[in-house]
Amino acid sequence: MKWLRGGGIWGFIVRRVLLGILVMFLVSIIVFAGTQALGDPARAILGRDATPDRLAALQKQLNLDQNVVGQYFQWLGGLLHGDLGTSLASQQPVSTALGPRLVSSIVLVVIAAVISIPLSIAIGSYAALHREKKFDTIVSNTMLALASLPEFVVALLLVILFSTSVFHWLPAISPVPPGHRAWEYPDELILPVVTLAFAVTPYVSRIMRASMIEVLESDYVEMARLKGLSERTVLYRHALPNAIGPVFQVAAISLAYLAGGIVVIEYVFNYPGIGSELVDAVQNHDIPVVQALAILIAGLYVLLNLLADVATILVTPRLRTRL
Amino acid sequence: MTGSGQQRWQVNERPDGLWTPSRRGMVMGAGGVAMAATLAACGGSSPSPSGGGDSSGAAGTPKQGGNFRLGVTGGGSKDMMDGQNIVTKPDQARLMTAFETLLTFDDNYQLKTDGLAESVEADNPTQYTIKIRKGIDFQNGKPFTSDDVIYSLQRIGTQANGLTGFAATATMDIKNIKKIDKYTVQLPLKSPDSTVPQTLASYTFGMVPVGYEAYKGDPSTQIGTGCYKLKSFTPGQESVHERNPNYWRGDGSPWFDTVTITDFNDSTAQLNALKGGQIDAMTDVPAGQVDAAQGSGIGILNSQTGGWIPLCMAIDMPPFDDPKVRQAFRLIIDRKAILEQVGNGYGQIANDMYAPFDEGYDKSLPQREQDIEQAKSLLKSAGKEGLSVDLHTTNGASGMVPLASVFASQAKAAGVNVTVKNDPNYYGDSYLKLAFSVDFWGTRGYLNQVQQGSLPNSPYNETHWPPKSGTGSDFESLYKQALAETDTNKRIDIQHQMNQYEYDIGGYIIPYFNALIDGYGSNVKGLSPSKGTLNLASFGHGFRTIWFA
Amino acid sequence: MRDREVELSRDTAIALETEGIDVPVVPGRSSNLLRRSLRLGRTKVGLALVGFLVLIAVLGPLVAPHAPDAFVARPFSAPGTGGAVLGTDYLGQDVLSRFLHGGLNILVLAIISTAIGLVLGLAIGLAAAYSRNWLDDVLMRAMDVIMAFPQIMLALVAVSLVGPKNWVTITAIALTTAPRVARVARGAAQPVVERDFIGATEAMGMSRFRIIGGELFPNILGPMMVEASLRLTYSIAVIAALAFLGLANDPNGPNWGTMIQQNQGALATQPWGALLPILAIALLTMGTGLIGDGIARTAAGIDRERGDE
Repeated sequence: MKWLRGGGIWGFIVRRVLLGILVMFLVSIIVFAGTQALGDPARAILGRDATPDRLAALQKQLNLDQNVVGQYFQWLGGLLHGDLGTSLASQQPVSTALGPRLVSSIVLVVIAAVISIPLSIAIGSYAALHREKKFDTIVSNTMLALASLPEFVVALLLVILFSTSVFHWLPAISPVPPGHRAWEYPDELILPVVTLAFAVTPYVSRIMRASMIEVLESDYVEMARLKGLSERTVLYRHALPNAIGPVFQVAAISLAYLAGGIVVIEYVFNYPGIGSELVDAVQNHDIPVVQALAILIAGLYVLLNLLADVATILVTPRLRTRL
Repeated sequence: MTGSGQQRWQVNERPDGLWTPSRRGMVMGAGGVAMAATLAACGGSSPSPSGGGDSSGAAGTPKQGGNFRLGVTGGGSKDMMDGQNIVTKPDQARLMTAFETLLTFDDNYQLKTDGLAESVEADNPTQYTIKIRKGIDFQNGKPFTSDDVIYSLQRIGTQANGLTGFAATATMDIKNIKKIDKYTVQLPLKSPDSTVPQTLASYTFGMVPVGYEAYKGDPSTQIGTGCYKLKSFTPGQESVHERNPNYWRGDGSPWFDTVTITDFNDSTAQLNALKGGQIDAMTDVPAGQVDAAQGSGIGILNSQTGGWIPLCMAIDMPPFDDPKVRQAFRLIIDRKAILEQVGNGYGQIANDMYAPFDEGYDKSLPQREQDIEQAKSLLKSAGKEGLSVDLHTTNGASGMVPLASVFASQAKAAGVNVTVKNDPNYYGDSYLKLAFSVDFWGTRGYLNQVQQGSLPNSPYNETHWPPKSGTGSDFESLYKQALAETDTNKRIDIQHQMNQYEYDIGGYIIPYFNALIDGYGSNVKGLSPSKGTLNLASFGHGFRTIWFA
Repeated sequence: MRDREVELSRDTAIALETEGIDVPVVPGRSSNLLRRSLRLGRTKVGLALVGFLVLIAVLGPLVAPHAPDAFVARPFSAPGTGGAVLGTDYLGQDVLSRFLHGGLNILVLAIISTAIGLVLGLAIGLAAAYSRNWLDDVLMRAMDVIMAFPQIMLALVAVSLVGPKNWVTITAIALTTAPRVARVARGAAQPVVERDFIGATEAMGMSRFRIIGGELFPNILGPMMVEASLRLTYSIAVIAALAFLGLANDPNGPNWGTMIQQNQGALATQPWGALLPILAIALLTMGTGLIGDGIARTAAGIDRERGDE
């Protein structure tokens, strides 16, 4: 895409958006082709009860005998109009079935992000300001260790610790009833949110620390100090804005990563989000739901990366000027 | 023994060793069921204390109120609500909230006439007359009449509807069901069938109003005669059911204000929720965790049912097309160890035959024991030493995967290499087409079970039984004779002959009859063990005989 | 993010790189990288952890007191029952023996799938960097598309679709590992490609394969080693998670992930069956993570213990 340089900040944004659209188009082809291989959904739905008569009845009901290429464009057209099709398993529109689950998952991820990203920025900055001191060493090493732990291991350790075996403070599962919103059950959200925060905080805080150290040692911070500005002003007005850029990149990647991570976390906590729905839909061969979820999660990844790139450019003064 | 004189499996009882089903014999109930001809074919009718629902025992006086929260595993977005159809276990629970059958089974798996029908009588071998109770209303106030019975039976009997019970209507002449009057229906048969009353008591033969359809998004369409009326339903997650204030029995039941049924991914989350008071009862406590659950204050309902998890050998597919191989595999298995390992001792050793509560169950056949040496020599004479087979299974019912794993480990001793294939799409893609697989079944009468799984046109015939020629090829004609036979002793003789075939050369290895082990909170009253098909004593007999202390 | 039109400084770049985000890194000399990284405390701890767990995984099966599928005592018996030092599991099998048998499968699967992913990603990344034309764009766009699917999601769909077979797990993980490696490889190789000596060797008539293999590859070994340890960490996590979701090859095979799933319900009464494998996986991934960090720091010439002021 080297032929598309220039154009300042808007040119940059347009390029990124076009690129995102191209990626999403390719993603849609892969998703469609991949899910075609899922086999006969009528059999999958009936399972043990797939007697020939019940099978024939359901197959007819589901209209499974259409041309594949036509199906793709019909599906893509529907997608662009916000029509995700009808779930083969529940016979509800996919958007109706997924809507509340998507909201629940977003609630989980957003709360985790709102807590862990500022926390990471604070921890990272503090560690950078007190480099090589006790706090920094302890935090750095702890974060490094935590960063490697698989989410389900963290989730299980938290459940053991706070719900079932050691303390009995928090609910072990989080089954938000349909018709209710996840935030109506704050106590049930604590453990899943903490698990997600554990997955994000180590990364983001490490980046923040590194970025902050770099900025603090840079010439213009030095210059600002020499100009006699208070350390507070130097920190908030000059260091922080420049150091925070890379954090957006990592936060975006971490959040996109969480879109996958919630599969296991929701399973552990019986939380009705899109992750647990994916496990179910794949087993039911519920093609429209699997397609919708794959597109959603991939789209989230593309969108987050886009936002992160734009945000990085916008908040980092020294990068903005280069465009 | 309880006051009723029936043997009851006690809560938490762990019977060991061989088990003989206890039955009251051929006593015709004084509780008088007006279906003499029929019941002769179905085994002794036993008077139950005061309707099949009496299981409260010494639990005290029922009282009203509360929201009963039930957690069930095995569901998903394919959950449905239909008075005559199920796919998942939560479907069973939801069906039971709102729909009732003409006849019922009591906790000893004996037929009762305390359902919607006053009587079901065989006028002659090919015609039944059904008399329904007067004064029963559906949940929307519409009276329950003959028209509804006819609609209900015809709905099940219409192949295109694809309902669970269709196969069981094979002998019924569905088109020619006749309305005699508002409360009397005549059911003609195409061929003699003494199991019709048992069929009518099966829970998927729920009575629905004329014009009824499955749930498609509107809760108000789910109208039955039962205790609870559907208020909201999200497949794969949760349903809420409201008390039916005009329930017909007039004994104050149902007791809860609402029933909430929640789907769970796995039993660990379920158990944690029950311990934490997030639910009041759960289905299927894993056998290995029963002691731990009890230790943490959870009530355990241990129902010894006639349910079974067979290893299924397709008798027409290699290597099992050789009866010697089938015989060898039956000698490889260590039933006691499997009961200990997989069932944690909760269950009864079985003998490769099903339907233990049926009076035709042949207890005289010797109990098979593990005999590795003989198994080896059988395999040798069949030219199948060092045999390797795949054993297909899935997480369909608890115990299916562990059973396959334990068998694989036991088979090593006989030099047989069994590879366990745990396939999530097992029931979707390959079911009934496999040489060696694991399946699960609930309590049924013998002939009903044969009809479901052991005839050429059975819907779930995993073993491809019976043989097309040679010994056992007259199995189907024996079945038809048994169906038509009204003399109990003669029918039992025929069934013994059928049992003998299955015991000698059949395709099933049945290690044990499993218990259904369910958990409940300490404030839940009215639960007692049942031999029935469904969990939690048929979900508290349609959520009717349970209440909060 | 390949189109990062930003330049990052050394310290940030290392931190980013450690998380597997491609950044143009000035290639460090690769010789003795591992040895030099051992000066760092974290590398030593990481290596000790990994070494300990690999030892358990490899030698465990030889010293296990029971067969992993032998029936020892009633399910979830307390430690000491029937010769089961740490008690029995959900099927009455010896927890200790199953733990000792349970690491090899995860480790082998993770190493194979990561290795395939590394080789594949390296080939794609180097080809892209070396081509310096449309091929670069096409390859990297294709990588972007695959990367849009989270690793666990793709693996889950593949395994549910085809069945829990080893090759499916390996393929799914290798396939999702490759694009991430490719981006790092490309990012690291690009500055090298731009340098004069590649042009010189081309002018000398050296074959492309020799240039890529002989000149390019040694120059990016550092970032690749970091990437390898990072990818291994993720592979272990995904394979363990799949087993935890009940999608392992053999449902009763001794496998740390499967053990957690089977025995977690009895944590209150018989914790060892789930706790041991949880700890093992935690320490193993921690170990590989620490090693990766150590190498990254060494590769970038940052050696905190020596002080870098």
